[in-house]
Amino acid sequence: MSAATESDFWKDADLRKTWDEIVPGEPRETVPYVLTLAAIQRYCRSVGDLNPLYFDEAYARTTPWRGIIAPPSIHILLMFACTPMHDWMRSPGTINAGQSWSYNIPARPGDTITLQARALDKFIKKDRLFVIHDNVFFNQANEVICSGRGWTIRPS
Amino acid sequence: MTAAYDAPRPGEAIEGPRFAVTRETIRDFCDGSLDYNPLHLDDDFMRGRFGKTEFGGVIMHGMTNFGLITRMLTDWLYPRGGVHRRLETRWLAPVRPGDCIQPHAVVAAEKTTARSRWVSLDIEVRNQRGEQVARGEALVEFPPPAE
Repeated sequence: MSAATESDFWKDADLRKTWDEIVPGEPRETVPYVLTLAAIQRYCRSVGDLNPLYFDEAYARTTPWRGIIAPPSIHILLMFACTPMHDWMRSPGTINAGQSWSYNIPARPGDTITLQARALDKFIKKDRLFVIHDNVFFNQANEVICSGRGWTIRPS
Repeated sequence: MTAAYDAPRPGEAIEGPRFAVTRETIRDFCDGSLDYNPLHLDDDFMRGRFGKTEFGGVIMHGMTNFGLITRMLTDWLYPRGGVHRRLETRWLAPVRPGDCIQPHAVVAAEKTTARSRWVSLDIEVRNQRGEQVARGEALVEFPPPAE
């Protein structure tokens, strides 16, 4: 089931893979997610981004995008929307050290988003347990929306 | 929004939005991102040690920096007909409730390829003390007008 409404990250914590158990190259379980206008706008408001391209359909139709789109950084939401509660990205204490993302086409309200994701690498540096994760988001037409990777420090 | 190519020049500076961080903005970002890690919500949890690191209290999501940088770039790009193509960032210091952060960018280089025009930017986010809390680079595209 989608974890879209679960806010208690201690739930299912025992089911999540630890650094020792994470296998680089092994696909992560993912779940399709229907991106709603409300979810786009909730994310936008959380970073104070009230650009009419995300809020005003009449305006957005006059732009090259021809309708409301999601901002490029919507993958911040999609990462959690497209993974189940037992995914290790939710382990309490997971520290985000940095990320890089490339953008192809925008996500739009009503898109059904799917994710292909895996741990790409893991290593120990300065006594810290790192995992690099690798992700590609697609829309319902199997078009790439964006791709990216992130560096996380895992809880010991 | 126009499709005119207003060529940015290396050295051109862009100022992003100032963003005052509170427990409420952090909670809003939890709801916006569905990232409810106790790092951002639970002071008791955050009084513990994380390896060598002690935070002493809740911290802002690192990805809030990412969202603010994106907002700065798209606010700059959309009126110029530009497209945001890539952003790479590293978090350098935690951001806490009570801090005020602001992203900045500087045009670093331009390059024209067979099909399009590209601009690289150096990115940083600083807090109210002038400390750099995030650093990175972005790549944006100014597609030529359709023939």
